[in-house]
Amino acid sequence: MQPFTLNYARPAVQLEVTVPYAYDSGLQLNVLPDGRIAATDHATLRALGTTTSTAGSKTHFDD
Amino acid sequence: MTVLILTSEEDVTADMVVLRLAEAGVPVVRLDPADLTDGVALSGEYTLGDRHGHLSVGGRLVDMDGLRSIWVRRPGEAATRAAQPSAWLTEESTQALYGMLRWTDARWMNHPDAARRARNKPWQLHHAQRSGLAVPATLITTFPQRAREFAARYRDLVVKPVSGAHPQEPPRAVPTSRVAPDADFTAVAFGPTLLQQRVLKRADIRLTAVGDTLLAARKPVAPDAHPDDVDVRFAPSMSPWVPVEVPPRVADGVLRYLRGAELAYGAFDFAQDMDGVWWFLECNQSGQFGFVEMDTGQPIAATIARWLAADGVSKDGCANAAPGAGC
Repeated sequence: MQPFTLNYARPAVQLEVTVPYAYDSGLQLNVLPDGRIAATDHATLRALGTTTSTAGSKTHFDD
Repeated sequence: MTVLILTSEEDVTADMVVLRLAEAGVPVVRLDPADLTDGVALSGEYTLGDRHGHLSVGGRLVDMDGLRSIWVRRPGEAATRAAQPSAWLTEESTQALYGMLRWTDARWMNHPDAARRARNKPWQLHHAQRSGLAVPATLITTFPQRAREFAARYRDLVVKPVSGAHPQEPPRAVPTSRVAPDADFTAVAFGPTLLQQRVLKRADIRLTAVGDTLLAARKPVAPDAHPDDVDVRFAPSMSPWVPVEVPPRVADGVLRYLRGAELAYGAFDFAQDMDGVWWFLECNQSGQFGFVEMDTGQPIAATIARWLAADGVSKDGCANAAPGAGC
């Protein structure tokens, strides 16, 4: 009784990513522990994949 | 005049735009509707035939009539982080917030009504056809026999979720997948199934549209890529995205698509075939762009910031549509 499409499903990769930045409500930006703006650290963003088009998001499927 | 950004705190892609707005000296208020009643507050009154409203977050207070634009980026569901969340409170808060924001003359990226329609993938395919974009032969059906006939006619097919959503109980991902030649289509009867002729692609294209500015990037398919690796989100690739010119005919189609959909922003996915044709796959009305900007250096965040910071209505008089687009 499983729909045809689900024959092609695979387990979602649930990566437990701990982001090294925190939201600063004063700046309205995420900030790294050394005070730098996270969005300017492309190496970190690439490593975390937080700006990528990802499939399987729980809340946003229009990536 | 203030730009209102509705998104989650952890949205670092939004940060890229907040930075550009800050550099331009444009006032910004950023909030997540999920924090309503616990960190975010709102008030609006209807008196003497007029209405006035305010929002506050983190010590910032903004008059709703002082909003120049509203960017609906990655907002949480309203009031889901309230002290005592409930479906009822979410509905109450959603109507209060988005209902009152509809008062304003602010330009939306994207308006919630347009966004809701634009998320519908079957609608997207039809709208792309009407807009003059090339759409691969597609079938959405619960009739197994129609699926068999479609497979016999087009032979090499892919299957993907109709909605683009992935099942969560348990969490699974459903990539766009190549259908085996000997597939048994009986299970098509148990759920709407989207089958599409596979595009023998030379490259994936991500076209980011901001108003009437089109920024396209291309990622070539590796010569040794496995033919079953059809979904760029899941396929292994070391190639970066690189900027690419948009063919005039595609540009015309994309602008028609945006105009008809009343979208100010869209992230379009195309597959480029061996003849160079760009086949429309989907348009994500809130698609990610950070990864493209980081690879290509294209000024997507700055373009979004400029659109959000622009004054008043677009040049054809539409407050909520893309500049240059009708409404």
